[in-house]
Amino acid sequence: MSSEQTTRAVVVTGAGGGLGQALCVEFAQRGCRVVGLGRNAAKLEQTKQLAGGGIDVRILDVGDYDRVTQCFADISRDYGGIGVLVNNAAVYPRIDILSETPASFMRTIEVNLGGYFACSHAALSAMIEDGRGRIVNVGSFADLSPLPCSAGYSVSKGAARILTRALVADLADRFPDIVITEWLPGILATTMGGPDGIRPDIAARWGVNLALNSDQSLNGAVFEQSTEMLPGRGLKRKVVDTLLRRGTKSARRLD
Amino acid sequence: MIAEIVDKEWDVVIVGAGMGGGIAGRRLAEAGLSVLFVERGPHGPRGEQNGPAGDMDPLPLLVRGVWPEPMEATINGRTSRFHGGIGAGIGGTSVFYAATLERPEPHDFDHSAERPHPTGGWPVSHKDWLPHLEDAEQLLHVARDRDASTGAAPGARPSPELGEGDRRLMDAFRKNGLSPYRLHTGLKFLPDCMSCLGRKCPRDCKMDGRSAGVEPALRTGNAAVLDMCAVRALRGSGRTITHLEATRGGETLTIRGRRFVLAAGAFGSPRILLASRSSEWTNGCANSSDQVGRNLMFHLNEMVAIWPPRDAAFDGPSKSIGLRDFYYDNGKRYGMLQSMGVDASYGLITQALLGKFDRSIVRNVKGLRPFVRVPALAASKILGSAKVFSGIIEDLPYAHNRVVLDEQRPDAIRFSYTISSELMERRQGFRKLIRQRLKSLRFMFLGHEPNLNFPHCSGTLRFGNNAQTSVLDSNCRGHDVDNLYVADASFMPTSAATNPSLMIAANAIRTSAALLRDHRQDIESAKR
Repeated sequence: MSSEQTTRAVVVTGAGGGLGQALCVEFAQRGCRVVGLGRNAAKLEQTKQLAGGGIDVRILDVGDYDRVTQCFADISRDYGGIGVLVNNAAVYPRIDILSETPASFMRTIEVNLGGYFACSHAALSAMIEDGRGRIVNVGSFADLSPLPCSAGYSVSKGAARILTRALVADLADRFPDIVITEWLPGILATTMGGPDGIRPDIAARWGVNLALNSDQSLNGAVFEQSTEMLPGRGLKRKVVDTLLRRGTKSARRLD
Repeated sequence: MIAEIVDKEWDVVIVGAGMGGGIAGRRLAEAGLSVLFVERGPHGPRGEQNGPAGDMDPLPLLVRGVWPEPMEATINGRTSRFHGGIGAGIGGTSVFYAATLERPEPHDFDHSAERPHPTGGWPVSHKDWLPHLEDAEQLLHVARDRDASTGAAPGARPSPELGEGDRRLMDAFRKNGLSPYRLHTGLKFLPDCMSCLGRKCPRDCKMDGRSAGVEPALRTGNAAVLDMCAVRALRGSGRTITHLEATRGGETLTIRGRRFVLAAGAFGSPRILLASRSSEWTNGCANSSDQVGRNLMFHLNEMVAIWPPRDAAFDGPSKSIGLRDFYYDNGKRYGMLQSMGVDASYGLITQALLGKFDRSIVRNVKGLRPFVRVPALAASKILGSAKVFSGIIEDLPYAHNRVVLDEQRPDAIRFSYTISSELMERRQGFRKLIRQRLKSLRFMFLGHEPNLNFPHCSGTLRFGNNAQTSVLDSNCRGHDVDNLYVADASFMPTSAATNPSLMIAANAIRTSAALLRDHRQDIESAKR
């Protein structure tokens, strides 16, 4: 854990419940200066209690972009910078596509995709002057085969995965020490997931291990649950690697 | 902010915020003058670490501080377009440099019976350059080693401990009768220094036109930056420039100043003067001699992979060794040999061997070419990583080698250059000399075609005492225009055989001192 991560703010969005709450608790246990963001004051207060009372919680709707900018500027000023951002806030309205209106559909996109962009953008302005920082985008496979009554959610989560790749395309060569990684924790035992899912406190341990590792090589990496997903190698690459005795790159693990 | 900049008549307007413009602007702002830097590229975030990327389209290049349009080069009659590693942003090309700040030798400037100078000598002698070189070394925090062949400056900082591998390599050079020394670099070596050679340094550690020039200038409160602004022409009449025309975000701007410093680089500065043609300045600004844009020079780079002795295999490339044993030999002007800070990987060696194969008598034997990879693989496995060194061979001025203006694409770098036969002969001589003197070391030349170093461009607005054959006087002020000064590598009458940055900085210091004298004289005569 680098010094920035212990002195600068560790910001978690969607901190009022589920995975976000568990992440705040885990970060706090590791000695980080946590700022949990969410819409619901009562739920944020619960997160604070669970984390032992020592964390900072602030009310923010990530779909309200002007407030996002102001909130991150305040945090950066109060904590001398932002060390880590975990984009986690998302809404999951279940609605038949025939009942969906263009406005309701776009509202889901505004929060789930627009919120990731707004928070990343606001955090980046606190990171680019000294070129150090860490962003973890919590993602899902909802885009691969969308469930019924989940159009807005599936589209927004798929687009959020592209957003991570776009951030890396624009930033990785210029800011190798602002490390941006995608993490797909899987289905959790939360209100958004289901009772058979992974316990959020276990997933949070993986997520915090990932967020507190700022190795440059994690830029653009993708983790599913606790294991790195490696990009596929072509035959030619395999032959060259074998000839040079490079060996297969093994997937990194978070547990 | 733009309105304030446009409303004001600045004491000095500097075109280009690279090494020359940055250092000149710093000196002038520190002396209390109001200074405006007009820069083509962005005043981007300070934490960037990228190098001069080339495989992108114009906007992402400009965002990264790289000159956005590919250069159009006609070399030996063949025209091609490519990115030449030229910067556009605060610090210019210098943010990408390896911070090698080496002093030229006396014969680079001076004429003598023993070592005649091809142009009869510079208007300013090596002895007269020394105080400015020392001044530049102070500003750029140059670490100089005690055994440097050119003698250490008083008060110079010693470099940090040399790595084990570099030390062994130095011993090996010495066993060959050579005199290696620590390269003079402009690094502060802050704790956890990443030695950002070839890329932007995110801290105030590598000293370049940004960290040692523009940023200290801005800290005085007397300077401002107008970024993302392309200068189109200098305007005025007679011997005076009154304003410059520029475009920024589709808007046309008029920027007024009492004095103008061109520091847009040896490609950019002549182009702006040529584009400043008017009914009065029919051949462009400051161009009655028709010398603007001519005498374009580069350096010829000669890349050599050198394998350290077997017991001295070391991790990481060699970054810090310089040799002047090949600088001048038997009446021939060659140049430095220095660490490039990269390892010769399997890929580089394969490329070199393929080049060798393609010129060999077996090149037409079908199916043989892929097997070149085998010795390359063997070399990289058995010998370990070779350290890449680069020779810098001095280039000399020819009027037909020149920057030209493309009226259709005023921002495009366009030039025509023919490698002279005498330079090719010196290249052969340099390679022969290296072959002879590296005798007991394993080495391999990496380039087959002559390799021009485009960021080392110089000479296109040379200074001299004769207004018929030069553009600038000995203080780098225009022969034709009283309030025009030049603070980039354009002024150099010959390219000298070292990296140009230290010379650019020393000249920016010297030129800004001349400008300051002129400025103070104006104030005195206004009082009277």
